[in-house]
Amino acid sequence: MRDETSTALLVLQGIKKNYGAVRALQGVDFDLRAGEVHALLGENGAGKSTLINIITGARSPDAGTLTLAGRPLGALSPALARSLGIACVHQQPALFAELTVAENIGLRLEAGGAWRRVDWRRRAAQAAELLQRVGAEFSADRTVRELSMPEQQLVEIACVLGAGSRIVIMDEPTASLTRREQEKLYEIVRSLRAVGTGVVYISHRLEEIRVLADRVTVLRDGVSVGTSAVGEVTEPELIKLMVGREVSLTQRAAGATPGAVRLAVKNLSCIAGGVRDVTFEIRAGEIFGLAGLVGAGRTELARTLFGLTPADAGRLQVDGRDIAIRSPGEAIAAGLAYVPEDRRRHGVILEMPIAQNMTLAVHSRLFPGGWLRAGPELSVAAKFIGDLSIKVAGPDAPGASLSGGNQQKVALARWLATKPRVLILDEPTQGVDVGAKGEIHRIIRRLAADGLAVLLISSDLPEVLALSDRLGVMRGGTLTASLPGDSDPHTVMAAALGQPS
Amino acid sequence: MSTTDHQSGWKNILLRYETLLLAVLVVEWLFFYHYGTTTNRRGVFVGFGTLDRQFDILRHSCEIGLLALALTPVILTAGIDLSVGSLLGLCAILFGKLWRDGGLTIPVAAALTLVAGALGGGLNAGLITVLRLPPLIVTLGTYSLFRGLAEAITHGAVTYTDFPASFLFLGQERWLGLPTQAWLFLPVAAAVWLLVHGTATGRSLRAIGFSPEGARYAGLPVERRVALVYVLSGFIAAVAALIYTARLGQAKADAGTGYELFAITAVVLGGTSIFGGRGSVTGTLLGVAAIAVLKSGLATLPVVIRLNAAEEMSGMLTGALLLLALTGSILPKILSTLRARRQAG
Amino acid sequence: MNRYFREISVTIALGLILLAMAVLAPGFFQPQPLLSLVTREAPTLVVACGMALIIISRQIDISVGSQFSVCSICAGLLAARGWPLGLVVPAAAAIGALLGACNGMLVAGLRLPSIVVTLATMVILRQGLNLVQQGAFVNLPDSVQWFGLSQAAGQWTLVGLALALLLVFGLAMRRVAAGRWVYAVGTDAEAARLAGIRAQLVTFMVFVLMGTLAGIAATMNIVQSPQVQPAVGSGLELKVIAAVVVGGVAISGGRGNVWGAFAGLLLLACVSPALTHLHIEAYWEKTIQGAIILLAVVAEGLRQRKSKGGRE
Repeated sequence: MRDETSTALLVLQGIKKNYGAVRALQGVDFDLRAGEVHALLGENGAGKSTLINIITGARSPDAGTLTLAGRPLGALSPALARSLGIACVHQQPALFAELTVAENIGLRLEAGGAWRRVDWRRRAAQAAELLQRVGAEFSADRTVRELSMPEQQLVEIACVLGAGSRIVIMDEPTASLTRREQEKLYEIVRSLRAVGTGVVYISHRLEEIRVLADRVTVLRDGVSVGTSAVGEVTEPELIKLMVGREVSLTQRAAGATPGAVRLAVKNLSCIAGGVRDVTFEIRAGEIFGLAGLVGAGRTELARTLFGLTPADAGRLQVDGRDIAIRSPGEAIAAGLAYVPEDRRRHGVILEMPIAQNMTLAVHSRLFPGGWLRAGPELSVAAKFIGDLSIKVAGPDAPGASLSGGNQQKVALARWLATKPRVLILDEPTQGVDVGAKGEIHRIIRRLAADGLAVLLISSDLPEVLALSDRLGVMRGGTLTASLPGDSDPHTVMAAALGQPS
Repeated sequence: MSTTDHQSGWKNILLRYETLLLAVLVVEWLFFYHYGTTTNRRGVFVGFGTLDRQFDILRHSCEIGLLALALTPVILTAGIDLSVGSLLGLCAILFGKLWRDGGLTIPVAAALTLVAGALGGGLNAGLITVLRLPPLIVTLGTYSLFRGLAEAITHGAVTYTDFPASFLFLGQERWLGLPTQAWLFLPVAAAVWLLVHGTATGRSLRAIGFSPEGARYAGLPVERRVALVYVLSGFIAAVAALIYTARLGQAKADAGTGYELFAITAVVLGGTSIFGGRGSVTGTLLGVAAIAVLKSGLATLPVVIRLNAAEEMSGMLTGALLLLALTGSILPKILSTLRARRQAG
Repeated sequence: MNRYFREISVTIALGLILLAMAVLAPGFFQPQPLLSLVTREAPTLVVACGMALIIISRQIDISVGSQFSVCSICAGLLAARGWPLGLVVPAAAAIGALLGACNGMLVAGLRLPSIVVTLATMVILRQGLNLVQQGAFVNLPDSVQWFGLSQAAGQWTLVGLALALLLVFGLAMRRVAAGRWVYAVGTDAEAARLAGIRAQLVTFMVFVLMGTLAGIAATMNIVQSPQVQPAVGSGLELKVIAAVVVGGVAISGGRGNVWGAFAGLLLLACVSPALTHLHIEAYWEKTIQGAIILLAVVAEGLRQRKSKGGRE
């Protein structure tokens, strides 16, 4: 055990922050020592992002103090935070899409006045060296726009490495990385720790925290509710701290007997979307889970099925009838519904009232002749607000005013209103708090019990295993394994990684 | 501004931006009614309150009003159409040419002109939806192209005149008590109002304006809808071209120069967000009226008459009004930020 | 794909046109008319440099034409009062900077959309000028003409000045940190803020610079004729926006450079004299310019479609 006072790198005391009426932080205490990995845990909306923004100077706290290496900090700006040695790997890479990798790294690392000369040769050399250290295989001359999400994440990490920061914040850095990239990242985190850097590590994956972190602090509803060494706390205890109550992931329900084949997909391919030769069936009343690593082509398959990136080969049958889907409109007509992964950009239109959000896909049925009618719209809204127990001020409330879980329910309601035969759910509980997660699971089960065929895409392995009657595993744009619903996690993960189990 | 397109509840109506704009319009009107001179230099009664004056305002605001109506759905989708003024010019020239050089009758020439307008809008629509190009640049290109074609057809010099009285009736006379062109303007206004506020199509235009990707994921035919608003915009510009030609009795290549700016001003002044999604046709009509009353009213103020500066004053005030409306639209945001800061401090 | 594809392709297009002219109408290359043409476009080039910066920073300024007019008239009035050119030029630049600062305050300070703000200031400035000037011309003293030099020397001075400014901006946008900040802000203002760049200040300064350049360009214009007319500069905004866009500056911000804007401007400026020499009537000019703009964006659209890889 190190001496606490001498090595406390960063101490936060009584941090408070409001956004208008929203009380994001209501008194957070947090300390980070040199040479430790300190994990920050909490449900979505617990205030983790706000806390990061305060440490990096992107937002200023309403109350509370920050102390860096014993020196109290006044007003912090991003530039000042950076010069003090604070760096952050953002979850959504905050990079300049139109600029090259080298310039992105340069803009982050170079200090100095507006009129200083830009040394392009030094920039290139520095970028190449950093990219090599993070194990990136792309050139520093590439424009960031051309890079994939994980590649952009590596650029972010390279920036942080190059800054030689005393404090590094990592906001769910492994969310979009492949297994190999994750291992590389762990290596980097450990090497940072070895040179005395303090790392704030934010993750939802408890197992990751166990292997990587020294201490863990749990945030709940904007308050820090506990800090302890990782070895001294069990996973159930952590979960209990996070949610303030004990929960267990509900066990698999005994699968109802599935009906006739609802959706049959044969040799489906979409070159632009990166989907190759996918074949599977889903029966009425069945939940078909789709596991795989991020980037395995699951969302791409969903987008192809739904006509967003139309297929260029293969056959599709719904209830035994051949159909061709070249646009989302045709997919809806064929009885397909797709609740997309990115809720805020694709799932709901944040500025629109939720009633209008819910009826967006059923205009032709609800408004014969194309004329808007308030009555049917409000009754659809009222029905789903009740059925899905959506917490909302009223049907006129804009989507943005809802919490993540309730937004997800609105997205779901929009598609249930189409009375679909096949429901595609893409990461339905991502970024949703534990309470809403359980509710959404119950809703999915109920829908299947009512005879809907459900295609469930999820990176949350326990979730897929708990909900699915059967499951498929995707890798490299194609379906590589078909497994029973009660498979054990190791088999599924091995299939996803392409290793013999 | 309300986010819903069903308008309901008195409180809701009172708090709407349109209500504020209507109040401004009334105050503006009363001001000119009170301070405007009642006689012109020759001693003829030209009071601001006369029915004749109101009709005059209506007559002169028809073309810009039509373009503003055309632009409202476009801006609702977060797009822009800079080419409407140029297309008006091109359509006026085409009409003149078809009638005089082509030897067609007025109705046939007018019908073909309307088709040409829709085709011009279709060019914008095609480039914007098929090639996914930014509307600002596409319509900047066609702004130049349409005006250029008008100049090329007329060799920059020809003016088409001597239209038959039966056609000029449309722009210069009255029918059933109203200026004739009002009988074209009002149905167009009603149709655009119904499209934007009463139909599922209008609803999808808002959705597209808020989030084109979100609208696509909801299964809305985004490309078709966007194409529709640009084609409609071209068609309405052609209608405006006919009215313009009839009012002035001539068609020249510079017809409608700069009109796009006044039309955009009217739309934004009417509360439609340049970022798409929010806005109303009522607001646009009030915006057009506010600008038209301002222009006409200024011409009756003694001081403006002395300076001979009605045109300039109305332009400046319109610009200032636009800035004011813009600042007003972000005022709630600024206030809430300030309040949050004060609470914290 | 080469990062400078657009700049190169515009330059090649320009080269092809010049080549075609050399074959079809060698008369085009007489030195004196060519010098006059380039001199006429010199002020436009200076404004186009500013517009390139504006568009790279993901804004737009359609009030430049009005700014140009106001600065021209002010400069003309000062010169007519007997101010020496050495004072008139900074004065015009300062007036321009002030006008730009107004736009900058509204756009960067209040975060209003620049297209609407500059639409409003464009109308206000133009009509304000009309109100004060009532369409009257300003007669300039002879000493102002061509800076008091011979016509040829004056022309060369103007061209040299414009090219010098182009060179300064071209190099600064590539090699000076502030220039790269403009790109950073145009690509992603929030990311710029996180990288410690004061995005709003950069935006404000770009507008001030635009105004300053409009002021300088205005004085470069008035020395070319014995009178200043208030309508000078109307339509200039669209001309420079067109040049900048044809030259490969992306309207979505963060991409392009002033060299491309230069090539784009030359391409558009060649149209009218080329038409004359090819005995095509001059009233096709606008049509062809419009077609060039559309062609440039269509080419860009097709290219982006093709290179659109894994990213949505």
